[in-house]
Amino acid sequence: MSAADSEYGHLTPLLVEYSGLARDDPRRERLRDELVTGYLPIAQHIARRFAHRGEPLDDLVQVATVGLINAVDRYSPEKGADFFSFAVPTISGEVRRHFRDQGWSMRVPRRLKDMHVSINAVVSELSQRLGRAPKPTEIAERLGVPVSEVLEGLEASEAYRSSSLDEMLSSEQGSATVGELVGEADAELDRVDYRQALRPVLAELADRERTIVMLRFFGNMTQTQIAEQVGISQMHVSRLLTQTLGRLRSRLDPDTRTG
Amino acid sequence: MSEVDPVGGADAVQAQRSVVEVRTSASAALIPTIRAVASDLAARADFDLDAISDLRMAVDEACATLVDVAAPGSDLHCEFTVLGERIEVRARVDIAGPGSTVSTDTFGWRVLQTLADSVELQADAGRTVGIRLHKSADPAPR
Repeated sequence: MSAADSEYGHLTPLLVEYSGLARDDPRRERLRDELVTGYLPIAQHIARRFAHRGEPLDDLVQVATVGLINAVDRYSPEKGADFFSFAVPTISGEVRRHFRDQGWSMRVPRRLKDMHVSINAVVSELSQRLGRAPKPTEIAERLGVPVSEVLEGLEASEAYRSSSLDEMLSSEQGSATVGELVGEADAELDRVDYRQALRPVLAELADRERTIVMLRFFGNMTQTQIAEQVGISQMHVSRLLTQTLGRLRSRLDPDTRTG
Repeated sequence: MSEVDPVGGADAVQAQRSVVEVRTSASAALIPTIRAVASDLAARADFDLDAISDLRMAVDEACATLVDVAAPGSDLHCEFTVLGERIEVRARVDIAGPGSTVSTDTFGWRVLQTLADSVELQADAGRTVGIRLHKSADPAPR
Protein backbone atom coordinates (compact mmCIF):
# COMPACT_ATOMS: atom_id res chain seq x y z
CA MET A 1 0.00 0.00 0.00
CA SER A 2 2.90 2.33 -0.61
CA ALA A 3 1.03 4.37 -3.22
CA ALA A 4 -1.85 4.75 -0.81
CA ASP A 5 0.58 5.62 1.94
CA SER A 6 2.02 8.49 -0.02
CA GLU A 7 -1.40 9.74 -1.06
CA TYR A 8 -2.98 9.46 2.36
CA GLY A 9 0.13 9.48 4.55
CA HIS A 10 -0.56 12.93 5.93
CA LEU A 11 -3.85 11.64 7.37
CA THR A 12 -2.30 8.92 9.51
CA PRO A 13 -1.26 11.18 12.39
CA LEU A 14 -4.72 12.74 12.34
CA LEU A 15 -6.28 9.28 12.65
CA VAL A 16 -4.12 8.53 15.65
CA GLU A 17 -5.04 11.84 17.21
CA TYR A 18 -8.75 11.35 16.44
CA SER A 19 -8.93 7.88 17.94
CA GLY A 20 -7.28 9.17 21.10
CA LEU A 21 -9.82 11.93 21.70
CA ALA A 22 -12.57 11.64 24.29
CA ARG A 23 -16.16 11.29 22.97
CA ASP A 24 -17.04 14.84 23.88
CA ASP A 25 -13.84 16.50 22.81
CA PRO A 26 -14.65 19.68 20.84
CA ARG A 27 -11.88 18.95 18.30
CA ARG A 28 -13.52 15.70 17.18
CA GLU A 29 -15.96 17.14 14.69
CA ARG A 30 -13.36 19.17 12.78
CA LEU A 31 -10.91 16.26 12.73
CA ARG A 32 -13.56 13.85 11.57
CA ASP A 33 -14.56 16.15 8.72
CA GLU A 34 -10.95 16.39 7.67
CA LEU A 35 -10.44 12.63 7.79
CA VAL A 36 -13.65 11.80 5.93
CA THR A 37 -12.89 14.37 3.26
CA GLY A 38 -9.33 13.12 2.96
CA TYR A 39 -10.29 9.47 2.59
CA LEU A 40 -13.37 10.18 0.44
CA PRO A 41 -11.73 8.93 -2.78
CA ILE A 42 -11.65 5.44 -1.25
CA ALA A 43 -15.41 5.50 -0.60
CA GLN A 44 -16.01 6.83 -4.12
CA HIS A 45 -13.83 4.13 -5.60
CA ILE A 46 -15.70 1.36 -3.76
CA ALA A 47 -19.08 2.86 -4.70
CA ARG A 48 -18.08 2.84 -8.37
CA ARG A 49 -17.25 -0.85 -8.14
CA PHE A 50 -20.90 -1.47 -7.28
CA ALA A 51 -22.28 0.81 -9.98
CA HIS A 52 -24.42 -0.53 -12.86
CA ARG A 53 -26.26 -2.91 -10.55
CA GLY A 54 -29.51 -1.03 -10.48
CA GLU A 55 -28.78 1.53 -7.78
CA PRO A 56 -27.91 5.18 -8.61
CA LEU A 57 -24.22 5.98 -8.16
CA ASP A 58 -25.02 8.99 -5.99
CA ASP A 59 -26.84 6.78 -3.51
CA LEU A 60 -23.97 4.34 -3.49
CA VAL A 61 -21.44 7.08 -2.82
CA GLN A 62 -23.60 8.28 0.03
CA VAL A 63 -23.87 4.80 1.51
CA ALA A 64 -20.13 4.24 1.06
CA THR A 65 -19.46 7.54 2.82
CA VAL A 66 -21.54 6.35 5.77
CA GLY A 67 -19.32 3.28 5.78
CA LEU A 68 -16.24 5.48 5.72
CA ILE A 69 -17.50 7.54 8.67
CA ASN A 70 -18.07 4.31 10.60
CA ALA A 71 -14.60 3.17 9.72
CA VAL A 72 -13.04 6.44 10.88
CA ASP A 73 -15.02 6.27 14.13
CA ARG A 74 -14.24 2.66 14.91
CA TYR A 75 -10.62 2.45 13.81
CA SER A 76 -8.12 2.03 16.60
CA PRO A 77 -4.47 2.30 15.51
CA GLU A 78 -3.19 0.51 18.61
CA LYS A 79 -4.70 -2.75 17.30
CA GLY A 80 -1.98 -2.78 14.69
CA ALA A 81 -3.93 -3.06 11.44
CA ASP A 82 -3.50 -0.23 8.98
CA PHE A 83 -6.51 1.90 8.21
CA PHE A 84 -7.02 0.57 4.68
CA SER A 85 -7.33 -3.05 5.64
CA PHE A 86 -9.93 -1.97 8.19
CA ALA A 87 -11.78 0.63 6.12
CA VAL A 88 -12.17 -1.21 2.81
CA PRO A 89 -14.21 -4.14 4.19
CA THR A 90 -16.18 -1.78 6.44
CA ILE A 91 -17.16 0.41 3.49
CA SER A 92 -17.88 -2.52 1.16
CA GLY A 93 -19.94 -4.09 3.93
CA GLU A 94 -22.07 -0.98 4.18
CA VAL A 95 -22.68 -0.94 0.42
CA ARG A 96 -23.52 -4.66 0.39
CA ARG A 97 -25.95 -4.15 3.24
CA HIS A 98 -27.60 -1.40 1.22
CA PHE A 99 -28.16 -3.78 -1.71
CA ARG A 100 -29.37 -6.43 0.65
CA ASP A 101 -31.89 -4.10 2.26
CA GLN A 102 -33.09 -2.95 -1.15
CA GLY A 103 -33.72 -6.57 -2.05
CA TRP A 104 -36.27 -7.37 0.63
CA SER A 105 -39.95 -7.15 -0.23
CA MET A 106 -40.97 -6.80 3.40
CA ARG A 107 -39.45 -5.89 6.69
CA VAL A 108 -37.23 -8.67 7.87
CA PRO A 109 -34.94 -8.32 10.89
CA ARG A 110 -31.28 -7.75 10.08
CA ARG A 111 -30.35 -10.98 11.89
CA LEU A 112 -32.48 -13.01 9.47
CA LYS A 113 -31.14 -11.18 6.43
CA ASP A 114 -27.64 -12.00 7.57
CA MET A 115 -28.68 -15.61 8.07
CA HIS A 116 -30.12 -15.70 4.55
CA VAL A 117 -26.84 -14.38 3.17
CA SER A 118 -24.85 -16.91 5.21
CA ILE A 119 -27.06 -19.76 4.03
CA ASN A 120 -26.81 -18.71 0.41
CA ALA A 121 -23.06 -18.51 0.74
CA VAL A 122 -22.65 -22.15 1.81
CA VAL A 123 -25.40 -23.81 -0.25
CA SER A 124 -23.43 -24.14 -3.47
CA GLU A 125 -20.32 -25.31 -1.65
CA LEU A 126 -22.32 -28.00 0.19
CA SER A 127 -24.16 -28.99 -3.01
CA GLN A 128 -20.86 -29.60 -4.75
CA ARG A 129 -19.60 -31.72 -1.92
CA LEU A 130 -22.81 -33.71 -1.42
CA GLY A 131 -23.83 -34.00 -5.07
CA ARG A 132 -27.33 -32.76 -4.14
CA ALA A 133 -28.93 -29.81 -2.37
CA PRO A 134 -28.09 -29.62 1.35
CA LYS A 135 -30.58 -30.20 4.15
CA PRO A 136 -31.21 -27.63 6.91
CA THR A 137 -29.25 -29.75 9.41
CA GLU A 138 -26.28 -29.86 7.06
CA ILE A 139 -26.37 -26.10 6.57
CA ALA A 140 -26.61 -25.57 10.33
CA GLU A 141 -23.64 -27.81 10.93
CA ARG A 142 -21.57 -26.05 8.30
CA LEU A 143 -22.40 -22.62 9.72
CA GLY A 144 -22.07 -23.74 13.32
CA VAL A 145 -25.53 -22.43 14.26
CA PRO A 146 -28.67 -24.15 15.61
CA VAL A 147 -31.02 -25.67 13.02
CA SER A 148 -33.78 -23.40 14.32
CA GLU A 149 -31.84 -20.39 13.03
CA VAL A 150 -31.41 -21.95 9.61
CA LEU A 151 -35.15 -22.68 9.49
CA GLU A 152 -35.88 -19.05 10.31
CA GLY A 153 -33.40 -17.92 7.70
CA LEU A 154 -35.02 -20.12 5.06
CA GLU A 155 -38.40 -18.73 5.95
CA ALA A 156 -37.05 -15.22 5.60
CA SER A 157 -35.65 -16.10 2.18
CA GLU A 158 -39.16 -16.26 0.83
CA ALA A 159 -39.48 -12.52 1.41
CA TYR A 160 -36.48 -11.88 -0.75
CA ARG A 161 -36.68 -10.19 -4.12
CA SER A 162 -34.37 -11.43 -6.78
CA SER A 163 -32.69 -8.35 -8.27
CA SER A 164 -30.27 -7.94 -5.43
CA LEU A 165 -26.65 -8.35 -4.69
CA ASP A 166 -25.96 -12.03 -4.26
CA GLU A 167 -27.88 -12.73 -7.44
CA MET A 168 -25.89 -10.13 -9.32
CA LEU A 169 -22.65 -11.51 -8.02
CA SER A 170 -23.48 -14.89 -9.51
CA SER A 171 -21.93 -15.52 -12.88
CA GLU A 172 -23.77 -14.15 -15.87
CA GLN A 173 -23.16 -16.80 -18.47
CA GLY A 174 -24.33 -20.36 -18.23
CA SER A 175 -22.24 -23.34 -19.19
CA ALA A 176 -21.77 -24.31 -22.80
CA THR A 177 -23.88 -27.43 -22.45
CA VAL A 178 -27.05 -25.51 -21.57
CA GLY A 179 -28.07 -25.19 -25.21
CA GLU A 180 -27.64 -28.91 -25.72
CA LEU A 181 -29.67 -29.73 -22.63
CA VAL A 182 -32.45 -27.38 -23.70
CA GLY A 183 -32.45 -29.11 -27.08
CA GLU A 184 -33.08 -32.46 -25.41
CA ALA A 185 -35.80 -30.96 -23.24
CA ASP A 186 -37.35 -29.46 -26.34
CA ALA A 187 -37.57 -32.88 -27.98
CA GLU A 188 -39.36 -34.10 -24.88
CA LEU A 189 -41.80 -31.19 -25.06
CA ASP A 190 -42.63 -32.25 -28.62
CA ARG A 191 -44.04 -35.48 -27.28
CA VAL A 192 -46.80 -33.93 -25.17
CA ASP A 193 -50.30 -33.21 -26.40
CA TYR A 194 -50.56 -29.71 -24.98
CA ARG A 195 -47.38 -28.47 -26.71
CA GLN A 196 -49.34 -26.27 -29.09
CA ALA A 197 -50.87 -24.37 -26.20
CA LEU A 198 -47.65 -24.24 -24.22
CA ARG A 199 -45.15 -23.22 -26.89
CA PRO A 200 -46.41 -19.69 -27.55
CA VAL A 201 -46.64 -19.01 -23.81
CA LEU A 202 -43.10 -20.28 -23.26
CA ALA A 203 -41.96 -18.09 -26.11
CA GLU A 204 -43.11 -15.03 -24.18
CA LEU A 205 -40.73 -15.79 -21.34
CA ALA A 206 -37.26 -14.32 -20.95
CA ASP A 207 -34.54 -16.70 -22.16
CA ARG A 208 -33.32 -17.64 -18.72
CA GLU A 209 -36.80 -18.33 -17.32
CA ARG A 210 -37.68 -20.45 -20.34
CA THR A 211 -34.44 -22.38 -20.02
CA ILE A 212 -35.07 -23.10 -16.36
CA VAL A 213 -38.66 -24.26 -16.97
CA MET A 214 -37.57 -26.49 -19.86
CA LEU A 215 -34.75 -28.09 -17.90
CA ARG A 216 -36.88 -28.69 -14.81
CA PHE A 217 -40.07 -30.01 -16.41
CA PHE A 218 -38.86 -31.49 -19.69
CA GLY A 219 -35.17 -32.06 -19.02
CA ASN A 220 -35.59 -33.99 -15.77
CA MET A 221 -33.01 -31.90 -13.91
CA THR A 222 -33.10 -30.86 -10.25
CA GLN A 223 -32.94 -27.22 -9.21
CA THR A 224 -29.41 -27.70 -7.96
CA GLN A 225 -28.30 -29.19 -11.28
CA ILE A 226 -29.97 -26.33 -13.15
CA ALA A 227 -28.35 -23.78 -10.83
CA GLU A 228 -24.96 -25.18 -11.71
CA GLN A 229 -25.64 -25.22 -15.46
CA VAL A 230 -27.17 -21.76 -15.64
CA GLY A 231 -24.69 -20.20 -13.22
CA ILE A 232 -27.05 -18.84 -10.56
CA SER A 233 -27.86 -19.97 -7.02
CA GLN A 234 -30.33 -22.76 -6.20
CA MET A 235 -32.44 -20.25 -4.27
CA HIS A 236 -32.57 -18.03 -7.32
CA VAL A 237 -33.67 -20.98 -9.49
CA SER A 238 -36.36 -21.73 -6.93
CA ARG A 239 -37.65 -18.15 -6.98
CA LEU A 240 -37.57 -17.89 -10.77
CA LEU A 241 -39.41 -21.21 -11.16
CA THR A 242 -42.11 -20.20 -8.69
CA GLN A 243 -42.64 -16.86 -10.41
CA THR A 244 -42.60 -18.39 -13.86
CA LEU A 245 -45.05 -21.16 -12.99
CA GLY A 246 -47.42 -18.51 -11.66
CA ARG A 247 -47.15 -16.58 -14.89
CA LEU A 248 -47.62 -19.69 -17.04
CA ARG A 249 -50.65 -20.65 -14.99
CA SER A 250 -52.37 -17.34 -15.61
CA ARG A 251 -51.46 -17.38 -19.30
CA LEU A 252 -52.60 -20.96 -19.86
CA ASP A 253 -55.95 -20.44 -18.18
CA PRO A 254 -58.42 -21.70 -18.99
CA ASP A 255 -57.84 -23.54 -22.26
CA THR A 256 -55.19 -25.96 -21.15
CA ARG A 257 -55.58 -26.32 -17.48
CA THR A 258 -59.24 -27.04 -16.99
CA GLY A 259 -61.80 -28.97 -18.92
CA MET B 1 -30.25 -52.32 11.02
CA SER B 2 -29.66 -55.81 9.67
CA GLU B 3 -32.73 -56.21 7.52
CA VAL B 4 -34.48 -53.89 5.17
CA ASP B 5 -38.18 -53.88 5.69
CA PRO B 6 -39.76 -53.75 2.22
CA VAL B 7 -42.71 -51.66 3.33
CA GLY B 8 -40.75 -49.39 5.62
CA GLY B 9 -42.66 -50.69 8.63
CA ALA B 10 -39.74 -50.39 11.03
CA ASP B 11 -39.22 -46.78 10.10
CA ALA B 12 -42.89 -46.08 10.31
CA VAL B 13 -43.06 -47.33 13.88
CA GLN B 14 -40.23 -45.05 14.95
CA ALA B 15 -41.23 -42.09 12.85
CA GLN B 16 -43.32 -39.40 14.39
CA ARG B 17 -46.59 -39.03 12.55
CA SER B 18 -47.97 -35.57 12.60
CA VAL B 19 -50.95 -34.13 10.83
CA VAL B 20 -51.59 -30.52 9.93
CA GLU B 21 -54.86 -29.54 8.38
CA VAL B 22 -55.47 -26.17 6.79
CA ARG B 23 -58.84 -25.05 5.58
CA THR B 24 -59.21 -21.81 3.66
CA SER B 25 -61.76 -20.23 1.41
CA ALA B 26 -61.15 -21.57 -2.08
CA SER B 27 -59.41 -18.41 -3.16
CA ALA B 28 -56.12 -18.00 -5.00
CA ALA B 29 -55.19 -15.19 -2.60
CA LEU B 30 -54.88 -17.70 0.27
CA ILE B 31 -52.63 -20.19 -1.50
CA PRO B 32 -49.40 -18.48 -0.35
CA THR B 33 -50.46 -19.27 3.22
CA ILE B 34 -50.87 -22.95 2.40
CA ARG B 35 -47.61 -23.22 0.52
CA ALA B 36 -45.80 -21.52 3.39
CA VAL B 37 -47.11 -24.32 5.63
CA ALA B 38 -45.85 -26.87 3.09
CA SER B 39 -42.33 -25.48 2.91
CA ASP B 40 -42.12 -25.04 6.66
CA LEU B 41 -43.11 -28.66 7.28
CA ALA B 42 -40.62 -29.88 4.69
CA ALA B 43 -37.80 -27.78 6.17
CA ARG B 44 -38.58 -29.07 9.65
CA ALA B 45 -38.60 -32.63 8.33
CA ASP B 46 -35.07 -31.85 7.07
CA PHE B 47 -35.85 -32.21 3.37
CA ASP B 48 -33.03 -30.89 1.20
CA LEU B 49 -33.50 -27.44 -0.35
CA ASP B 50 -34.55 -28.85 -3.72
CA ALA B 51 -37.19 -31.06 -2.12
CA ILE B 52 -38.49 -28.21 0.07
CA SER B 53 -38.88 -26.00 -2.97
CA ASP B 54 -40.41 -28.81 -5.04
CA LEU B 55 -43.03 -29.56 -2.41
CA ARG B 56 -43.82 -25.88 -2.06
CA MET B 57 -44.35 -25.48 -5.78
CA ALA B 58 -46.33 -28.71 -6.02
CA VAL B 59 -48.72 -27.54 -3.30
CA ASP B 60 -48.98 -24.19 -5.06
CA GLU B 61 -49.87 -25.92 -8.33
CA ALA B 62 -52.30 -28.41 -6.77
CA CYS B 63 -54.16 -25.71 -4.85
CA ALA B 64 -54.30 -23.38 -7.87
CA THR B 65 -55.70 -26.22 -9.97
CA LEU B 66 -58.38 -27.00 -7.41
CA VAL B 67 -59.34 -23.39 -6.73
CA ASP B 68 -60.03 -23.05 -10.47
CA VAL B 69 -62.76 -25.69 -10.32
CA ALA B 70 -64.11 -25.02 -6.82
CA ALA B 71 -67.76 -24.21 -6.34
CA PRO B 72 -68.32 -20.52 -5.57
CA GLY B 73 -68.06 -19.78 -1.85
CA SER B 74 -66.64 -23.21 -1.03
CA ASP B 75 -63.55 -24.16 0.96
CA LEU B 76 -60.19 -25.64 0.10
CA HIS B 77 -59.16 -28.42 2.47
CA CYS B 78 -55.51 -29.25 2.70
CA GLU B 79 -54.18 -31.99 4.91
CA PHE B 80 -50.48 -32.60 5.42
CA THR B 81 -49.26 -35.80 6.99
CA VAL B 82 -45.63 -35.88 7.98
CA LEU B 83 -44.42 -39.40 8.49
CA GLY B 84 -40.71 -39.42 9.17
CA GLU B 85 -39.03 -38.39 5.96
CA ARG B 86 -42.18 -38.42 3.89
CA ILE B 87 -44.90 -35.85 3.51
CA GLU B 88 -48.29 -36.61 2.08
CA VAL B 89 -50.60 -33.84 0.93
CA ARG B 90 -54.31 -34.25 0.29
CA ALA B 91 -56.07 -31.23 -1.08
CA ARG B 92 -59.71 -31.12 -2.10
CA VAL B 93 -62.53 -28.77 -2.98
CA ASP B 94 -66.25 -29.06 -3.54
CA ILE B 95 -67.14 -28.55 -7.15
CA ALA B 96 -70.20 -26.95 -8.66
CA GLY B 97 -71.19 -30.04 -10.65
CA PRO B 98 -69.99 -32.95 -12.75
CA GLY B 99 -68.93 -30.52 -15.46
CA SER B 100 -66.02 -29.18 -13.39
CA THR B 101 -63.09 -31.50 -13.79
CA VAL B 102 -59.36 -31.43 -13.57
CA SER B 103 -57.63 -32.67 -16.67
CA THR B 104 -54.41 -34.60 -16.30
CA ASP B 105 -53.31 -33.99 -19.86
CA THR B 106 -51.97 -30.54 -19.07
CA PHE B 107 -48.75 -28.76 -18.36
CA GLY B 108 -50.01 -28.19 -14.80
CA TRP B 109 -50.30 -31.92 -14.25
CA ARG B 110 -46.83 -32.48 -15.64
CA VAL B 111 -45.55 -29.91 -13.16
CA LEU B 112 -47.16 -31.90 -10.35
CA GLN B 113 -45.74 -35.20 -11.63
CA THR B 114 -42.28 -33.72 -11.89
CA LEU B 115 -42.27 -32.04 -8.49
CA ALA B 116 -43.90 -34.78 -6.42
CA ASP B 117 -42.82 -38.41 -6.09
CA SER B 118 -46.36 -39.47 -6.88
CA VAL B 119 -49.58 -37.67 -7.61
CA GLU B 120 -53.11 -38.82 -8.19
CA LEU B 121 -56.42 -37.23 -8.95
CA GLN B 122 -59.32 -38.15 -6.72
CA ALA B 123 -62.83 -37.50 -7.92
CA ASP B 124 -66.00 -38.24 -6.05
CA ALA B 125 -69.11 -38.50 -8.20
CA GLY B 126 -69.16 -34.89 -9.27
CA ARG B 127 -69.18 -33.52 -5.70
CA THR B 128 -65.55 -33.09 -4.81
CA VAL B 129 -62.23 -33.18 -6.60
CA GLY B 130 -58.99 -33.81 -4.81
CA ILE B 131 -55.29 -34.11 -5.51
CA ARG B 132 -53.16 -36.38 -3.41
CA LEU B 133 -49.40 -36.22 -3.66
CA HIS B 134 -46.42 -37.24 -1.69
CA LYS B 135 -42.79 -36.31 -1.49
CA SER B 136 -39.94 -38.02 0.30
CA ALA B 137 -36.88 -36.40 1.79
CA ASP B 138 -34.55 -38.73 -0.03
CA PRO B 139 -34.04 -37.52 -3.56
CA ALA B 140 -35.61 -39.94 -6.00
CA PRO B 141 -33.05 -41.58 -8.27
CA ARG B 142 -32.99 -39.91 -11.63
